[in-house]
Amino acid sequence: MIQPITLTVNGHDHPINADPKSMLLYALRDQIGLHGPKFGCGLSECGACTVIIGGAAVHACVTPLAAAVGQKITTLEGLAENGKPNPLQQAFIDEQAAQCGYCLNGMLMTAQALITRNPHATRDDIKAALQGNLCRCGTHMRILRAVERITQPQIPTGATP
Amino acid sequence: MSAGAKLRLSRRDLIGFASGMVVSFPLLARSDMINSATSVATVPPPPDAAKLYAWLAVHPDNTATLYTGKVDVGTGAQTALAQIAAEELDFPIDRLSVVMGTTSETVNQGPTYGSLTIRYAGPQIRAAAAAGRAALIERAAAHFSTHADLIEAKDGFFTVKNAPQRRISYGALVAGDRLDVTIGAKGRGFAMQVAPHAKLKNPADYRVVGQSIARKDIPAKVTGAFTYVQDVKLPGMLHGRVVRPYGVHATLLSVDENAVRQIPGFVQIVRRDNFLGVVCQTEWGAIKAAKILGSVLHPKGPQAYAAKWSNWQGLPAMQDIATVVREAPGKNATVLEHGAVDQALASAQRVLKATFESPFQMHGSIGPSCAIAEVTRERAIIWSGTQMPHQDRHDIAKLLDMNPDQLEINWFEAAGAYGRNGLDHAVADAAIMSQAVGKPVRVQWMRWDEHGWEPKGPPIVQDLEAAIDANGKVTAWKHHMWVPTLGDSTLIAAALIGHPNRVGSIGHGSPAVTYAYDFPNAQISGHDEGKVALRTAWLRSPAQFETTFAMEAFIDELAAATKSDPLQFRLDHLKDPRAIAVLRAAAAHYGWQPRPAHGKPPKNGQPAKGRGIAWVNRDDTRVATIADVIVDPASGRIQVTRVVVAQDCGLVINPDGVRNQVEGNVIQSLSRTLHEEVTFDHANVTSRDWVGYPILRFDQVPDSIEVVIVNNDPKYPSHGAGEPSTCPTAAVIANAVFDATGARLRQLPFRPARVKAALT
Ligand code: FES
Ligand code: FES
Repeated sequence: MIQPITLTVNGHDHPINADPKSMLLYALRDQIGLHGPKFGCGLSECGACTVIIGGAAVHACVTPLAAAVGQKITTLEGLAENGKPNPLQQAFIDEQAAQCGYCLNGMLMTAQALITRNPHATRDDIKAALQGNLCRCGTHMRILRAVERITQPQIPTGATP
Repeated sequence: MSAGAKLRLSRRDLIGFASGMVVSFPLLARSDMINSATSVATVPPPPDAAKLYAWLAVHPDNTATLYTGKVDVGTGAQTALAQIAAEELDFPIDRLSVVMGTTSETVNQGPTYGSLTIRYAGPQIRAAAAAGRAALIERAAAHFSTHADLIEAKDGFFTVKNAPQRRISYGALVAGDRLDVTIGAKGRGFAMQVAPHAKLKNPADYRVVGQSIARKDIPAKVTGAFTYVQDVKLPGMLHGRVVRPYGVHATLLSVDENAVRQIPGFVQIVRRDNFLGVVCQTEWGAIKAAKILGSVLHPKGPQAYAAKWSNWQGLPAMQDIATVVREAPGKNATVLEHGAVDQALASAQRVLKATFESPFQMHGSIGPSCAIAEVTRERAIIWSGTQMPHQDRHDIAKLLDMNPDQLEINWFEAAGAYGRNGLDHAVADAAIMSQAVGKPVRVQWMRWDEHGWEPKGPPIVQDLEAAIDANGKVTAWKHHMWVPTLGDSTLIAAALIGHPNRVGSIGHGSPAVTYAYDFPNAQISGHDEGKVALRTAWLRSPAQFETTFAMEAFIDELAAATKSDPLQFRLDHLKDPRAIAVLRAAAAHYGWQPRPAHGKPPKNGQPAKGRGIAWVNRDDTRVATIADVIVDPASGRIQVTRVVVAQDCGLVINPDGVRNQVEGNVIQSLSRTLHEEVTFDHANVTSRDWVGYPILRFDQVPDSIEVVIVNNDPKYPSHGAGEPSTCPTAAVIANAVFDATGARLRQLPFRPARVKAALT
């Protein structure tokens, strides 16, 4: 069952040995050593494990390696531009949009995929896109404002007291 | 040296040399793996609290480190404590990093719970930093051969007054020395008094405290560089998964080991009495093996998998839980009694009664509990996100038949836990598995382990009764609460191996409620210490969320019965000036117009609007909340549109941090109000994932949550901000639903079916 597999993650090829039926999340975390994608449920119910494959936000916890081979996989670590947070990541920092932050991988990756698809997403669009992402700390208001900083830059920051 | 000792050295020695000082653990984030591993004989104990080096280190590159036994559970405590230290030390906050929790590096300042960190650890750190500044000034005076009075400290540099060229950085002055200065410390934990003779800065001169300093942890959390406990890796680390009993108290009958032997990387089944775990070389292998043994989302029965359990069916029926709570053996306790309540009720013109019920609810961390343990005969090194590393050092030592001196807990932040979830229990699981296989083992719970086995907030039942006189004044108030033990925190693994053991203390209900009003006759009492169905643990604002729901919804019923404005009715029965101040501040910001609640059924089944108000005094923090809702009678759905919160937690260290906490409390408590209820059958919890236990999603967040901070002034000491604003929410929503529809909701949660039933 265990066999050589090559994954293309954040622009680099990673040869690993793994069971093609095993889920992408564990290869990314345990074998490639990334911290961005998180285990939250393993059931495609929370979004903590989200990565971007072919422009779409995908739950790595239910994506078998066999389905990921040959695809361009982007993780949270891959969003950085020249070693700096990308504009969406910077917007999360500027809004201080985190409490524990465990959900943020999913929020950022899902929002990044949305922005690519719909650069002027409204608050309702953002809510709809993030509907499958759970945050237990209740950071929702700040997450919405952070994404709006990118998609609705005309809204003054700090508009909501 | 062991991996644990290496990590400890890594942090103490290397942390100060990283540039920027934004991330606490840059070493781990970069190298991804903690280096191994020869052996050391002993595990260092916590440092001596009376020594300056226990609290502070200044490094040659003019960075510094603050050490604290407190941890950050996602609330931003790290940054707030750093602000307090930077302020007293006159040191730039962006060059000050913080090491938290690790038992060999920090002083035991008590567990991190109860929203008590800023209140109790704040003054300890303030005094230590002030003493540190004084000691460094002495050293600078000696360096410049002058008097201490002539030394000025600012932004990490000492200068001789009127001689700006005579200037030295803190780092150059200390020159890599350990700060071996006695500052003194008396007492323990929360009550410890540190550096009792330190001269503190005049709060009028504060420049860092009171500022919305950006949180130190957030940049690494948004880039993926942050190392959560779930991300810690050790060389040679194996992966373990637990296989819990089918029924809560089922007995393990047999395990067919052959069923899992073929799994690549299989190492060992760990079975001790009713404890069952499996260890593999890979995480995927451990997950697969555990599945074959019976660790699945919805198990098909006690004997459907390779591990066979007895068919234990001892839980009460879910629909009978309120009766079970009332009938649970326990202790009656009077919280407060004055006047002659029964007489006043008997002779009253008008008496109202109501009963309020709330279900088991869960912490529901987004990241399941995780721990790594490396247990040998000589020592146990643990990596954990626990809220109480110093306490765990003692408790886990007992579990392992060791002495605390043989244990080190390395603290790493976990996903938010909001009380005490499974984090301590995962430590026990990992420790038992590591002890069995003789290698470091990482255990992460599956989602169903977390939902199914994390200790829950208990169900609570409350009866209220009040008398109103002809002038619409409350003359008597009687409140009786059935609150099962809030935290009966036997370690799960310890119970399963027949070695019951406690983590921390037992939590009781009565002190949880604060009698808030000023009635001529009042009696508040509770029935505590009952054990009901499932293991419990403190859940954010333990019992206070539920008791505030009952008190503040019932007072609203009294206001409505007397056709009074609900704000004015509260003010008429209150004397506490700080309570009155938050109610008035919330009302002013909201634009409150006095009127009685409408309380009429919606016309033609159309969606109806309403407003609600409630407040709490939670351990001296006052919070008043007002919310607008729209109730759709057709669907039974409640949409909250606007929330205004006024909070008085005294002097605020970081205003944006407080706002962030209030927003989080509001959303989470709204989720508990609208959605959350643990379900169970006679064997075990059945709400084992986010489908069975839904929480609030983006479609139901309010349009705005507006926070007003009241009495933010050094003359009021800092009180907690991490929990109090959870308390009023259920009452606010219940009261707003009444205003909109005339229906009284007295049972949590307010799911659509229940709302619809109340409307008909
Ligand atoms: S971990 Fe993949 S959706 Fe929850
Ligand atoms: S910030 Fe903690 S789960 Fe979202």
